[in-house]
Amino acid sequence: MTKYFEDINVDDEIEPVDRTPTEDHAIDFWGRDNPTNPAFRDAEVGRRQGFGGALVPGMLKIAWLTQFVSTWAGPESNVKSIRAAFRRPDIAGRPLTLGGRVVDKRQEGDRNVVELEVVTLAEGQPSVRANVQVEVPSKP
Amino acid sequence: MTEPTESLITDEHRAAIGQRGEPVKVVVREADARRMRDLLNDTDPRYADGTGIAPPYVLSGLAGGRPGGAVPQILPNGILTQTEWQFLKPFKIGQELQAYGKVFDIRDRLGGRYGYSILVMTGTEYVDEAGDIVASTITTITQFDPAGLKS
Repeated sequence: MTKYFEDINVDDEIEPVDRTPTEDHAIDFWGRDNPTNPAFRDAEVGRRQGFGGALVPGMLKIAWLTQFVSTWAGPESNVKSIRAAFRRPDIAGRPLTLGGRVVDKRQEGDRNVVELEVVTLAEGQPSVRANVQVEVPSKP
Repeated sequence: MTEPTESLITDEHRAAIGQRGEPVKVVVREADARRMRDLLNDTDPRYADGTGIAPPYVLSGLAGGRPGGAVPQILPNGILTQTEWQFLKPFKIGQELQAYGKVFDIRDRLGGRYGYSILVMTGTEYVDEAGDIVASTITTITQFDPAGLKS
């Protein structure tokens, strides 16, 4: 459903969604023919690197967060940027909750810009914090 | 592991800072867009089969998700610790882009989760046939030695 600039308010929250990353997610994200960090698909390698299991790719989490905001803002929106800090590694099989809220809205020329803070939460603690800018339409 | 008492960053490593790598041709492949879209259960009609447009997160798969340019590998492992994506134009299915990578900075870090580690900040610009930047990324990889990882 389309979100219009006029209907969005600072502190609006996005309804959280849950995702449980798996080793298969990591492999399929880039395709089975593309080499990636072996710690993404092999828990033992992840443990040897000190992570306690198979590492969840940061790129996968950013893709989830981009889609999370895009879905909230609707099909007439455009995600313009995402800036993320990875606070702690996530391990495959451990559920993540994606959440977010609006922190700013403004007009820049003829563009309606909305800024959100989004997070992935693992066991209630943020593992990724990100800021996302999305352009949304005005009401017709 | 005993942490290094001197920086492991050499003049040779520092020489990479500011250097723009040779462009690498990347293609926005339909199979990649579809696979990622399906994996994320993304039903946004803008990116459905036949629209000719790929979802923005296909960026993570271009160039195998790795930054362009010659990135010094100083410590054996690396983990993504910061990233920024900017989208200036939509990705078109089948589009050929030139990826220009650049090393922005290389610096030591002491005392964090990874013990002695090295932060390597790189950027990549994806340029279309008209010379316009379609998207760009800035990425910080923390290189570390697992022996120094703190619980």
